[in-house]
Amino acid sequence: MKLKKVLALSMAAVLTLSMAACGGGSSESAAVNTNEETAEAAPAETTKEAGDAAEAEDTAEASGLSYTNIVLGESYTDITTTIKWLTHRTDLIDSGMIDSYIADFNETYPNITVEVEGVTNYADDALLRLTSGNWGDIMMIPAVDKNLLNEYFVPYGSLSDVSKAVRFADQWMYDNTVYGIASTGNAQGIVYNKAIFEQAGITAIPKTPEEFIAALQAIKDNTDAIPLYTNYAAGWTMGAWDAYINGSATGSSKYMNQELLHTQDPFQDYGDGTHAYAVYKVLYDAVANGLIEDDYTTTDWEGCKGMINSGEIGCMVLGSWAYSQMVEAGDHGDDIGYMSFPITVGGKQYASAGPDYNYGINVNASDDNKAAAMVFVKWMTEESGFAYNEGGVPISMDGEYPALYAAFDGIEFVADEPSVAGEEDILNELNAESELNINSGGDSKIQSIIEHAANGDMTFDEIMAQWNEAWTSAQETVGVEVTN
Amino acid sequence: MSAAAEQVVQTKEKKPFHFLKWAKGRKGQQTIIIVAFMFIPLLLLFTFTYFPFAEMFKFSFYKMKYIGPRKFVGLDNYIQVFKRDDCFGALKLSLYYIGGAMVQLAIALYLATILSFKVKGGSIFKGFMFFPYLISGIAIGFIFKFFYTRGFVFDTVLQWCGFELENLPYWLKDQRINNISLVATSVWRYFGQNMVLFIGAIMSVDAELYEAAELDGANKFQQFRYIILPSIKTIVTLNVILSITGSLSAFDPPYVITKGGNGTGTYFVIMNEIAHVSQKVGLASAMAVVLLIIIFIATILQKLFFKYAMRDAEDENTGAGLRREKKLERYRNRRKGAA
Repeated sequence: MKLKKVLALSMAAVLTLSMAACGGGSSESAAVNTNEETAEAAPAETTKEAGDAAEAEDTAEASGLSYTNIVLGESYTDITTTIKWLTHRTDLIDSGMIDSYIADFNETYPNITVEVEGVTNYADDALLRLTSGNWGDIMMIPAVDKNLLNEYFVPYGSLSDVSKAVRFADQWMYDNTVYGIASTGNAQGIVYNKAIFEQAGITAIPKTPEEFIAALQAIKDNTDAIPLYTNYAAGWTMGAWDAYINGSATGSSKYMNQELLHTQDPFQDYGDGTHAYAVYKVLYDAVANGLIEDDYTTTDWEGCKGMINSGEIGCMVLGSWAYSQMVEAGDHGDDIGYMSFPITVGGKQYASAGPDYNYGINVNASDDNKAAAMVFVKWMTEESGFAYNEGGVPISMDGEYPALYAAFDGIEFVADEPSVAGEEDILNELNAESELNINSGGDSKIQSIIEHAANGDMTFDEIMAQWNEAWTSAQETVGVEVTN
Repeated sequence: MSAAAEQVVQTKEKKPFHFLKWAKGRKGQQTIIIVAFMFIPLLLLFTFTYFPFAEMFKFSFYKMKYIGPRKFVGLDNYIQVFKRDDCFGALKLSLYYIGGAMVQLAIALYLATILSFKVKGGSIFKGFMFFPYLISGIAIGFIFKFFYTRGFVFDTVLQWCGFELENLPYWLKDQRINNISLVATSVWRYFGQNMVLFIGAIMSVDAELYEAAELDGANKFQQFRYIILPSIKTIVTLNVILSITGSLSAFDPPYVITKGGNGTGTYFVIMNEIAHVSQKVGLASAMAVVLLIIIFIATILQKLFFKYAMRDAEDENTGAGLRREKKLERYRNRRKGAA
């Protein structure tokens, strides 16, 4: 009997102990986590409240932290800290480029250690990491609603100040305050193989959709190359077609963020070979006329780089960021060229240009980390040569344009203007509501163009009518005034 | 309430309840131990299964994104699920997967029966056929993406067999067959696992029965039909139910191989797109709840079906069963006599 009691007691003791151990363990690790992520900064619970975020903003301003006030090599040289950078450029981590940028940075700021974490599925994962709060000090801002920017990110300064120093400053702006600095800028055009175009007998770069389709046909007739490689299977390469419907197709810097929301049937045929209709029709016609690869469902994104380099592909519709990758993918880098999208608006050609991912700084980081992070962002923008190396439009106002823009002589770059105050979130809402997701991952809608063109089960006008319908009903649900 | 019942209640109330006494007693100890041991598993089950599910159920009544404000919309999301073409259209694709599941079970049952008799190199074959189940679904997706690419593995093998490349279809592009191509990958992956389950069940069949059947002149097929199948019907039923519910929620092959494009978007793939690209979290949650209900209904229907089907089969064979018993009895007696 006694033995049993002793046994029962010891068992109970063991159980309680193990439970206590569990609890202790988890709370301890939680504490370590918070230490890592926020150092001695504001406790995590306060982050969700806008009021507190505003407070953080005040302290940041009080301490004089702003993008324009930082003088590289002089400001904040006394800070010793470690900052963590969450990036989408896993390719640059693998190639060691990021390490060499950081090594260069450490020559000026030896006491700031930069840790990098690459995220492959960035657009989705970054959003989840952002809500969890545990992501480090610098991140490439994912698709957040603009009114939430001040809850998550440190302001760089007012728009009027920052826009004097960098291009595309208004991309992540809310209430005239800038929350993101672009890493590089992209112009939208078509990457093509000059040798193939020459071989096909194309002497002048096509300027209209008709000329472009004729050029593709010439490539098909006169060479062995695939005229237009769609990269259907990769998905995001399809969504990239949305980037042409603004500046390139309309010549208007207001189209994307200000006019599109209020447009009645934006996918209608404007009759003059412009607007979204003309952009997507190029794709539909190319597919319908058999001017793309044989089996679009098994395209290979990594493989296409070498293929265009060696002359197996005539052209691909991709942003300027793709140019350097195509040049480096083989021995015939000199053959790669970049041209504007073949749409002419009123006798003049335009090219959409815009920022790539923007650097955002964690509002919950310690003051030292905020300052160190902003120094790093400014260094990346002005000193690293990152945008130039990527073949991008320079971010720093006095930066240099890379050579690939040679063919853009006489073509005007059009960067989107931000939304009108009070309408910042409407485009996001319309996108989600209509499920067209223009410029925000609407890959499947562009894929459906290819499918319908290949199967011949829907005409192009029917597809566009369907999209117009979705857009109109979204406008009604969200309650947007339709003016034109 | 009758007076007698009241009396009982009163007498019960008269006996005061001593917690300590109860806790020290045998019954109390039993209860305490049971509760103590159940507490942790139940807590884990609740926190990681039922609580998230309840949250999702709650989401399905809201119009919301992952971040930002939420708006209560009542049953709107559910109405949307039933109104949209893509949600229930996607369920039609499940028919392909259900068909595939049937083929898969037939292959598995056939191979399991063969392999449970003495076969040269049986273990090696079992190993080879079970192997695909051990590969992750994502890896299988990548394997088959290349497998089906025009002019790659599959086409090459078929060309060896004398097919002309021009006559071969595009396995993933042609909308008439691309779903079959995808289903084939899932059959390839899972039939080995079903086979191993069946072999395990067949092992438990008494070997004397085969001997007896052989003496009676039953061939292998008759042995399968009248001995093996009735003995393993429980595991067959279970596998059918699991395969059909699995077919309703097919995700890996279309998501990895075609990303749901080109008419291969199953219910889950569409749900994923709605939740993560369009960020209609409420609608996606409603879709999940609707699918759960559909799976419940499908499972219950199958259970009922098998209850009837199996009972009928037994009714038919009661005579046969009795005869079999008698024969066995006679056989045993003869053996006894011989000894």
